[in-house]
Amino acid sequence: MKRASILILLLLFPLVLFATGQDEGQMATIRFWYHFDNPDAAVTPLVQKFEQENPNIKVTPEFIAWDVYNQKLLTAVAAGNPPDVSQIKLWWQPQLVEMSALLDLSDYVADWDGRDDVFDKIWELTEYTDGNQYLMPLQMVILYMYYRTDMFNELGLKPATTRSEFLDLAKKLTRDTNGDGTVDVYGFGIRGARGGHDWWGTFVLSSGAEFFLPNGNSGLITPEAVAANQWFIDLYRVHQVSPPTTPNDGFQQIIANMQSGKTAMTIHHIGSSKGLAEALGDKLSAAPVPKGTKKYWTSFGDEENGVLAATEFPDAAFEWAAFLATAENNAIWQKSSGQVSINKSNATAGGNRFLKATTDSADFAGVLPAHPGTAEFVESLWPTQMQRAFLGEISSAEMMQIFADHFSK
Amino acid sequence: MRRRMPLWRRLLGLHLPVLIIVFFALGPYIWMFISSITPEADLYGEVFRYFPGNPSFQNYPKIFQKISFARNLRDSLIVATTTMLVGLAISLTASYSFSRFRFRGRNYLMIQFLVINMFPIVLLLIPLFVIMRVLKLIDTYFALIIAYSTFTIPFSTWMMTSFFNAIPKQLDEAALVDGCTRFSAMTRVIVPIAMPGIAATGIYIFITAWNEFLYAAILTGNKVLTIPVALQNLIGEYNIAWGLLTAGGVISVIPVIVLFFFIQKQLISGMTAGAVKT
Amino acid sequence: MKRKIDLFPYTLLTPALSVTVLIIFFPIVQTAVMSLFNYVIWKPKDTRFIGLGNYLQALRDEVFWISLKNTIFWIVGVIVLQLLLGFVTAMLLNREFKWRGLARSLILIPWVTPSVITALMWRWMYDGNNGVINDLLVRIGLLKSYFPWLANSSTALPAIMVALMWQGFPFFAIMILAGLQAIPRTLYEAAEVDGATRLQMFGRITLPMLTPILLTSILLRIIWVANSMDVIFVMTGGGPGYATHTLPVFAFIRAYKGLDFGYASTIAIFLTLLLIAIVAGYVIRVLRSQEALR
Repeated sequence: MKRASILILLLLFPLVLFATGQDEGQMATIRFWYHFDNPDAAVTPLVQKFEQENPNIKVTPEFIAWDVYNQKLLTAVAAGNPPDVSQIKLWWQPQLVEMSALLDLSDYVADWDGRDDVFDKIWELTEYTDGNQYLMPLQMVILYMYYRTDMFNELGLKPATTRSEFLDLAKKLTRDTNGDGTVDVYGFGIRGARGGHDWWGTFVLSSGAEFFLPNGNSGLITPEAVAANQWFIDLYRVHQVSPPTTPNDGFQQIIANMQSGKTAMTIHHIGSSKGLAEALGDKLSAAPVPKGTKKYWTSFGDEENGVLAATEFPDAAFEWAAFLATAENNAIWQKSSGQVSINKSNATAGGNRFLKATTDSADFAGVLPAHPGTAEFVESLWPTQMQRAFLGEISSAEMMQIFADHFSK
Repeated sequence: MRRRMPLWRRLLGLHLPVLIIVFFALGPYIWMFISSITPEADLYGEVFRYFPGNPSFQNYPKIFQKISFARNLRDSLIVATTTMLVGLAISLTASYSFSRFRFRGRNYLMIQFLVINMFPIVLLLIPLFVIMRVLKLIDTYFALIIAYSTFTIPFSTWMMTSFFNAIPKQLDEAALVDGCTRFSAMTRVIVPIAMPGIAATGIYIFITAWNEFLYAAILTGNKVLTIPVALQNLIGEYNIAWGLLTAGGVISVIPVIVLFFFIQKQLISGMTAGAVKT
Repeated sequence: MKRKIDLFPYTLLTPALSVTVLIIFFPIVQTAVMSLFNYVIWKPKDTRFIGLGNYLQALRDEVFWISLKNTIFWIVGVIVLQLLLGFVTAMLLNREFKWRGLARSLILIPWVTPSVITALMWRWMYDGNNGVINDLLVRIGLLKSYFPWLANSSTALPAIMVALMWQGFPFFAIMILAGLQAIPRTLYEAAEVDGATRLQMFGRITLPMLTPILLTSILLRIIWVANSMDVIFVMTGGGPGYATHTLPVFAFIRAYKGLDFGYASTIAIFLTLLLIAIVAGYVIRVLRSQEALR
């Protein structure tokens, strides 16, 4: 008898947890997911300012580590418990839209008076293929080429404007500086691990490769595209202008190599400029990437805020996202993010050499196609196949074929 | 009577190997410590340095001020300690059953415990998240304690069963003859003798819970923030806060080492010698 | 009298069982069911039952076979390395010397360090441009110039295995040390009187008495190592190419990068089957040896 009653109590216990329900008041509560690289950066001042201006809305910011951001967001969406507003990387958009996870903001944006203060290009790039606007702008960077001014001066060189000039530069910069018979400095640090597709894009998408041709076929398997890809592979395998560690080099490694003088050039953006400039000072500068055989291509790195479709407070959620996209607040945000504001009224004429390289590249910055397969391409397909090509396990043609097959699914 | 080994033999055959192994275990940790006192601008220099030119300890106070590391230590301690106590209590009773009794389904249950743990936990995330959400346990200590208990209990049960099996059954019977109940035979006689095994299993549960990242990151992260998740927050998209990260790593190890220093005193032999009256 | 004893073990087991069934069993069943579907999260309209379709696809997938091969190499290598070092450590730390408590506590450090830090530190130590391991090897003269350990498909996995050996040997050290305590001193004393050598004592007393603990520890460790992927993922992301793809890494990438949960579940099931095959022999032996000690 005693055991039976204990058992019944145990079974009833969970119900107690259900009994404490939520009391929905007049207040709208917005859960906001974000990430900053700088752990010092606090979003609190912005939250306080917003709550003062909007007394009926409460914002609960939650910092999510970048490494698990995507995973945590997907898990929350799949389990039916996503935040109300979240930072969204542009290449996550297709998958999230296909999953019906994002709220269509087109009507909100059309009525928004801050709309015109955002660069037109950003609206262009963030609009989805179905013509709707699911994302609110937040920050942007454009990738440029870092180079060591001291090494360039030593060898009497100038930043390259074409691809062949670039190869020449890289070869000259790859040298043995202390006479011990081994190469000490490499001309160009290639990022071979996840995230390096931007390096690839600059030299391959600029020289004849296209993800999709106007007729819908893949533009990655034309002879020109394969040749452009081969040119890129050859940088490592034939000309050896990038360090032997390239296949596994991630962001940390290419920056470390720039800082230690192991490489003379690499590609990145203003987000890393502060740390590098602190270490290298005047020995470091930046310039737009060189032109390929057909055009310039560099990556438009950006991030937006999305409103999750499951939100209970769509109006309030949009208010918060719009707040962050308004010039005054956006400028405050960039102080923490280290990136560039998306507002026209925040564009300064001055700024340092890194900002100049950024703005000089604005005209030709592009993004990867808004295709659901892009996320996987970025996260695992490109790094794996690029590494195999660098190691000689597959040919350029085979690599491009794998990409073409992936995007045709 | 054992002749005491000459000093040089002890040095070579005992102290030296132990020193080498300890140094191997400490090596990366020392490297971590050196990184934590190296200013970030000096981390990758032109010449490789083993020790920074101008070391600075500012990361240590910084980690407590800027990211409230003390709170992370507290959260980790609460979760790990509770998981250990709950896990020990449950697996102790389960192991005693498996070790001492023959009953139907015993082997089947033991195998079940094992198979359950063979599944890659990354794929259990979404269903588990849903369960926790329904129980309204997201971002609570309970979520982690329950989740950790589920994969530490089966393992600890297996470990403790093998430790219990090393204790002769005659001891139980002697206790029963002396008037103990089954339960007090277990607690008064067997458990004290099994202390080394219990201590080892306890530290296993504690460390597993202390170190766990994936479930902590997905199921908690704001109201409850354990050390692995807090440290992961220092790894950004474009920047790793090396100084804070390595300082955090250095500190996070210390509570467990101190705790174990006291527990390891249980790892002494001689409890079973002469315990069985012939 | 008999009925009382029969119920007692079940009472003791109920808490453990109920928690496990609820929290783990259901999600496992759910995942197993997912493996029978074509379930790509961003193609919800394509979701449909395909029976063993995913399984057939896996068997035809070269990446699956590469991952399987790597997994076996990984499990065997890591276990052997961890076990050997752990065993030697336990034997040494069982002897009496003044700083034994300190030594025992310090060797725990690799096990306590959070995995992400372990992975990052080892990755940095192995770095082909700024790494301390390369620097030391060059200084000693074993290497002429820095070597890209993690960027070379032949050395990447072994390099990570060394890091895992560092991380996991304390587990064996502690478990074996605890097991050594249960061996009565009287056995050694009697053997010494009989004139046995140290080696004979080790082979005839220590090893046999440790066997149950050893078997159980190895069994548990195999399962843990087979499933571990966080260190690999941070150190190389599964690369270069497929060189460090193990089954859990592969499953993770398919699930969270490709969002193909149907296929990822299938790989997880394969891994579970592989483990069952590996441990089946062990399990039967362990269950039998536990009876033998009666």
